[in-house]
Amino acid sequence: MKTCDQGHRTAPPVISRQAFMRAALLFAASPLLRYAPAQAATGAEITEIAPGIFVHQGRYELQSPENRGDMANASFVVGSDGVAVIDTLGSAVAGRELREAIRTVTGKPIRYVINTHMHPDHVFGNAAFKEDNPTFVGHYKLARGLGSRAERYLAINKEMLGAEAFEGIEIILPSVGVENSLTLDLGGRTLQLNAQRTAHTDNDLTITDTATDTLFLGDLLFSVHVPTLDGSIIGWLALIEELARTTPARVVPGHGPHAMAMPEALSPEQRYLGAIATDVRKLIKDGKTLEDAIQTAGLSERDAWKLFDHYHVRNVTAAFAELEWE
Amino acid sequence: MPLPLKTLGFLSGAAALAGLFVVAPIAKADIDVWPTLKKQAFGDRAIAEEDGAVVLEIPGTAEDAAIVPLTVRVPPHVTQDLKSLTLFIDKNPDPKVATLSFGPAQGKGGERSFSTRVRIDNFSQVRAVLETADGSLHMASKFVAAAGGCGAMQAKDPDTEMVGLGKMIVKTFPPALDANPIWSAQVMIKHPNANGMQLDINTANIIPARYVKEVTVKRDGELVFKMDSTFSVSTNPNFRFTFARGDKNELDVVVTDTDAARFAAQSQPSGS
Repeated sequence: MKTCDQGHRTAPPVISRQAFMRAALLFAASPLLRYAPAQAATGAEITEIAPGIFVHQGRYELQSPENRGDMANASFVVGSDGVAVIDTLGSAVAGRELREAIRTVTGKPIRYVINTHMHPDHVFGNAAFKEDNPTFVGHYKLARGLGSRAERYLAINKEMLGAEAFEGIEIILPSVGVENSLTLDLGGRTLQLNAQRTAHTDNDLTITDTATDTLFLGDLLFSVHVPTLDGSIIGWLALIEELARTTPARVVPGHGPHAMAMPEALSPEQRYLGAIATDVRKLIKDGKTLEDAIQTAGLSERDAWKLFDHYHVRNVTAAFAELEWE
Repeated sequence: MPLPLKTLGFLSGAAALAGLFVVAPIAKADIDVWPTLKKQAFGDRAIAEEDGAVVLEIPGTAEDAAIVPLTVRVPPHVTQDLKSLTLFIDKNPDPKVATLSFGPAQGKGGERSFSTRVRIDNFSQVRAVLETADGSLHMASKFVAAAGGCGAMQAKDPDTEMVGLGKMIVKTFPPALDANPIWSAQVMIKHPNANGMQLDINTANIIPARYVKEVTVKRDGELVFKMDSTFSVSTNPNFRFTFARGDKNELDVVVTDTDAARFAAQSQPSGS
């Protein structure tokens, strides 16, 4: 278990020999896994990015037995009355490590577990917090989205995580659904939750900590990790324009560094989605097919992102199926 | 490693409900259903496999299992009239995707093709069986694996699925060379093609199946093909196909869905 200091940045973790060997092996095994773990996988490493706001940074990887679904950012906010967790990582095992990390910082009750959207790498750790009996909160469409995909998500993750890391995963749907906005009082600070319209998915929720003016964007913001489109490219690009006009002190992406500055944090993602939209619209206008689009659209972005080859074709497919009806 | 197999029995509502929130026990995914499918569709008739009369193009890995592009080509050396084309996805809940029965305006004297987008529910063999005018059967097949990551069989935005239901776009494309007697066309149909196996989490009811079951395409009044289809065709069914050059090259498309709703459209001016 790694403890965290109270400063704004943690000191670089000491790399054990074992972890170094593991990292070296990963490098050798796959050129895609360039972000090898910097410490042995025994606990969630956290960083305090603003007073009382802690972020765990996930790896830029697909889920595997080795990373146990630790591949998205997860955060928690500590108030004087209690704690709110924002996303829970991709397995109960990883979720428990996040909970342990919380307990190294505070003994206050965990009152809320907020999920920014339905994807497994953000919700499959929910079960680790059941013992705290928190209120689970999400966009009001999260329950439908996750509920209808549950069987498939479980099957795929069982396959990719392996039995050990899959152990204990449960689908826990929100007990409170946010239709427009909701304010949660943590004591001395409040969280402002806003349900967004269809963009990355149809159930993206953003959260602002009013005490520090920190905005949690979930997967509405990707950095380094290629964006994944599971909603509407038109809606997402429109929402990015709106978000770029806001001026929070900092934003926390769903995948990327612990914290980023606005509005420039949004630029790479806007450029990526914009490139797809522009290319796909031209192909459609020229009477080209989905197959043509898969082979050409947005390829100028290939070197700018991790995991590009895993998600780009799916993104182009979704964009094409949406934009051909414009 | 195959994902849990949804069997034919999964079609029943109760099974669907029960299956939705649990990981089904790993079924015998290696059961070969093709002999049964083949018998049902073609009886004891011989099928020539991979003899070059029909070519199937489909990605070996389905990046988005809900929208997998599929193209069937009949190379120019096949000069006979075509009688029918049947597409199968062995492991889908309803393995028969579609059967096209071709008419006199099907086209001749060059490569003929048919493309659509399909749902692939599992790791599965995908097959195209072509019947030529002499009654012989020819098959091309390919194994398709689902990509890891998030499955995407569900609508990305269910609340907009029924918006514009039945809207159609029909486009024709003249060949690059005037001498080529074969034109191509695209038909797009706004329709959820609901498979009847998804749960509405708000009501705990199964969203009823409603999908395009028949598409008839005529060129200048002559039949290009009539297609019987199932929900293995993706949401917003999309077809590209070839047809014989005619006088006006106007296409009439009539679509019927399982709720007996009928939608009709004509092609926009050629080449547009």
